[in-house]
Amino acid sequence: MRRALVVAGGELRLLLRSRLAAIGLGALLALSAVAAWTSSAHVAREHATRAAHQAAVDRLFDDQPARHPHRVVHYGTYAHRPLGPLAAFDPGVDPYTGTTLYLEGHRQNVAAFGAARESSGLLRFGQLTPAFVLQTLAPLLLVFLGYASVARERESGGLRQLYSHGARAVDVLAGKALALGAVALAVALPAGIALVAAAASVPAEVPAALAVAAGHLLYLAAWVLAIAAISAFAGTARTALVALVAAWTVAVVVLPRVAAEYALRAEPLPSRVETDLRLQAELRELGDSHDANDPFFAEFRRRTLERYGVERIEDLPVNFRGLVSAEGETLTSRLFVEYAERLAAIQRAQRARVDAFAWATPALAVRRASMTAAGSDLENHLRFLAQAEAYRYDLIQRLNRLHADGVAYADDVQRSRDAAAERRTRVVASHWQQLPDFRFEPASPRERLAAARPALLALGGWVAALIGVLALAARRLERTA
Amino acid sequence: MRALEAPAAAAAAAPAIAIAIDGLEADRGDRPVLRGLKLSVAAGEVYALLGANGAGKSTTLAALLGFLAPRAGSLAVCGRSPQAELNAVRRIVAYLPENVALYEHLSAVENVRYFLDLAGERRGADEIDAALAEVRLAADAARQRVGTYSKGMRQKTAIALALLRRAPVLLLDEPTTGLDPGATREFHRLLDALRGRGVAILMVTHDLLGAAELADRIGLLAGGRLTHEWCAAPGPARFDLAALHRGFAESTA
Amino acid sequence: MTASGMTEAAGVAPPRHRPGALGDWRREAALWLRSTSAVASVALLAALATVAVALGLGEVARQHAAIERVLDLQASEEAAIAGFAEDAGSAAYYTAHATWDSPSPLAFAALGQRDAAPWVLRVRALALEGQLYESDAQNPELALPGRFDLAFVLVYLAPLVLVALLHDLKSAEREAGRLGLLLSMPGATRRLWVARAGVRAIAVLLALAVPFGFGAALAGAGLLETLGGLGVMVGTVAFWTLLAVLIALRGRRSAVNAAILCAAWFALVLVGPAAGHLAVNAAVPIPSGAELARENREAVHGAWDRPRAETMARFVSSHPEWAPYAAIDRPFHWKWYFAFQQLGDEHVAERSRAYRDGIERRERLAGAIGWVLPPIGLQRALHRLARTDVAAQLEYQERIRAFHAELRAFYWPYVFREQPFGPADFARTPRFASVR
Repeated sequence: MRRALVVAGGELRLLLRSRLAAIGLGALLALSAVAAWTSSAHVAREHATRAAHQAAVDRLFDDQPARHPHRVVHYGTYAHRPLGPLAAFDPGVDPYTGTTLYLEGHRQNVAAFGAARESSGLLRFGQLTPAFVLQTLAPLLLVFLGYASVARERESGGLRQLYSHGARAVDVLAGKALALGAVALAVALPAGIALVAAAASVPAEVPAALAVAAGHLLYLAAWVLAIAAISAFAGTARTALVALVAAWTVAVVVLPRVAAEYALRAEPLPSRVETDLRLQAELRELGDSHDANDPFFAEFRRRTLERYGVERIEDLPVNFRGLVSAEGETLTSRLFVEYAERLAAIQRAQRARVDAFAWATPALAVRRASMTAAGSDLENHLRFLAQAEAYRYDLIQRLNRLHADGVAYADDVQRSRDAAAERRTRVVASHWQQLPDFRFEPASPRERLAAARPALLALGGWVAALIGVLALAARRLERTA
Repeated sequence: MRALEAPAAAAAAAPAIAIAIDGLEADRGDRPVLRGLKLSVAAGEVYALLGANGAGKSTTLAALLGFLAPRAGSLAVCGRSPQAELNAVRRIVAYLPENVALYEHLSAVENVRYFLDLAGERRGADEIDAALAEVRLAADAARQRVGTYSKGMRQKTAIALALLRRAPVLLLDEPTTGLDPGATREFHRLLDALRGRGVAILMVTHDLLGAAELADRIGLLAGGRLTHEWCAAPGPARFDLAALHRGFAESTA
Repeated sequence: MTASGMTEAAGVAPPRHRPGALGDWRREAALWLRSTSAVASVALLAALATVAVALGLGEVARQHAAIERVLDLQASEEAAIAGFAEDAGSAAYYTAHATWDSPSPLAFAALGQRDAAPWVLRVRALALEGQLYESDAQNPELALPGRFDLAFVLVYLAPLVLVALLHDLKSAEREAGRLGLLLSMPGATRRLWVARAGVRAIAVLLALAVPFGFGAALAGAGLLETLGGLGVMVGTVAFWTLLAVLIALRGRRSAVNAAILCAAWFALVLVGPAAGHLAVNAAVPIPSGAELARENREAVHGAWDRPRAETMARFVSSHPEWAPYAAIDRPFHWKWYFAFQQLGDEHVAERSRAYRDGIERRERLAGAIGWVLPPIGLQRALHRLARTDVAAQLEYQERIRAFHAELRAFYWPYVFREQPFGPADFARTPRFASVR
């Protein structure tokens, strides 16, 4: 161990004296700092904007004048998905999802207005966030700083000299890895500060932040080990560089895309419009509320009249139109949920296909661990959609009940022709304030930790396997000095 | 310092001067290496240039090949200046670097073909075979990858290339370093044959005995100029070995 | 003549043949082709490019099929509506008309924004602003890494292969000890290095261009756009080749050259665009989309609480041709309904234009960054040719707007003149296919 520390010290001194290494390290630290700063500023702004939007639509809803309840069903409201507290570190899929969801009666909309559609094509090259710096850029810098660490000693004969002083190959490799690990920690520092700053405002998020940090540290450790091992296995420094750049390209750039293409094909997801059309067709099969003779609604009328023991709709103590709306909403909402769950199931299956690649590249494992723990993954978005739909259904049914109980049937049928009847169908404004507002409940840090565990395990597996590879490299190095 | 003995008899006779260096000054980086070198090699002559490490032997060859621009002095190969007519000079000069390195994944024949084509020379397969036979590279070996060759075999390949180039001037950089005695003898035989055909050979070497055995003249380079020059005497004892050793010791002291 | 003919008089250059530039290239190609590792790396690139083209063609076919399926389903939906729509108003209210943005012939090479923005959207003849920005329900985690298309191979992988092939153009000769012998040869001039770099660059170009050419032929792309795509490839390969040769001929060690070139790639392809994105979005703020949609809703739904006459008067002032038909005699009339839908769009028209212009300006600014980061500029050019960039997405929106205008122009006469509307009329509703 002492010898390994001596080797590490020597390597660090060499790195610090190399102008090229200093420039690279300095540039990445600066980049990392810029990423941390701009990302947290962006997230703070976005957070405030979305909160303001939510407050604005809540106020607009409460401030509605006296209206027919069915008007309010169509007026609806908006749900704005808030950013998670750790989004400043890893915004995950946020730019690729709509943030604003319009909630109205009879319809299930999709979220609109995401950064990907409001930005230039440059977005697709990656966003400068702490997570991007650590997951994509940092490994390549470590490759540049470390590719020659062992190969150089072998080429220059320094290895024999080290052996002659009693150092073993294990000491040399451990020392080189320690030095590179120290550099990796320095590289991770600005991002780490950003993470601490993000978690500091919400103490409950500390465990999640720790999971995010652990994921990235394991990831960087995997790279450090791989770099030391490949530098030892390669005959020359140049071979090591070529092999490592190739490994980086495959692991960080190529495989995530391959995994996505595979998932897209293995689990095809229909377009939203197609789903919508199929849903409408199925609705038409179930019943047509426009058709007075439709069997489904004729049956509903018969049951309702029987329940209240009256002969005619006009004699019902409640407004039959409100009841029909509620019945229709139950019917459509059941289909909406069913279809949404089907789409969500396909997307989760796609995710599972991608996650299987975490054993092929640690880049996918760290992305999964980071997004999941930070609550900026697909699951968070699906959760938002599901909660918004539940809220929508509840809101619309409350309005339908108001329609049934608060609006006279006789006025209701006359309101399109008779202005006075129309006025009487308006329900006093105080009702709107009594309806609940939408509040998104993200998964608790504990739930997110549990979801991130497999990815963290995969990263641990990578580190363990690479320690084995490094030991193998040490055995070989012992013989080939 | 002893005055240079100009080969007056040789100058008057027919063999033309193939390499003429006069007052050559050249630097390696910031370090002045050559300071007024004067030297000439005639056609059909083998000139051995000796000197301690860093004396400027390789720099002289580099200047002749146009790899570096001299600070002062004149250089001429068959009357042409490497500075003014680089490609013309390269066309009449064949050069053997200290460690002959070829394309390892090609055979000797393929290497020779490649370099001939690069030089703009076209030779038939029979000519190439003849040249390889002359340097005594076995025909089956000549078709194996150079990566499997010994140093001597690589050098033979390069000599064959020089033969095929038919260059009137041959520059050699420490050609016998690392060769076993048999290979060295073989190499000297080839140089002797080339001399017989009128090729001017400038050979940079540490091998004092080898130079004494083969060269027509031996020059000693020290301090950036020639400090001694000996001509071969007729008869079996061509050079006074004791004098050579003494001169060498003086110049490196 | 045998090899022993070395007897030319000193000073006379031996006879020689001058290989033309073509001869240089042929010789260097033959030499390079003997290097297994180099050829293998180009073969790998060709394989990746082929896979990318195949995946791209598959994706384009999938999108075409999805559009076909939507149109089939749309036909039965419209038939159902024709069954119960009793007048033009209810037909216009219930019918969501299909619009679609078919992938262009070159879309296979650069799928671009098509996974982030919808390429099928249904719109009703109601207020458009609330309908135009819907997104598709695609898996965002799959959009995150980007697609494996030819544009990706071109911008990320091809440069790395070129760096691998060219970084040791000269240093490999020096490190192998061949440089002296090589440079002592006549003909070892700049032309030698040009030929050597050229052979490798052409090999890389072929690895990209051949799969692209096949893909373009299969996709039925026009000659001009195919040539344009090839031009982008030539440009990209030329850029990286020039950069690599510039570094490679400066005389450093191979490893240093490789590190410098990889760092250049890192800066131009990873860091540059990410920083550029930040800068562009900071430089061009855009109005909030959420606010735009909200304002539209307020304007539309507020009409229910305003006097009908006021709404009709405002409508007539901007659409005087309907003044003779603007009178309404009951609380609900389709005339009034479509009038306030239109007024809702007009209310946010300026904001909507600002929103659109903002995105367009961001895209234009990104184009300027493409001049600073040539690989990015070239990749953008490919997306433009493939019509899969942000500009194409905005163009699709414009076509939807134009189609929406056609729908209004079709329905309004029925609604305002209170003309009967039968299945025959419904069959004549405008089709998106005609919108250009």
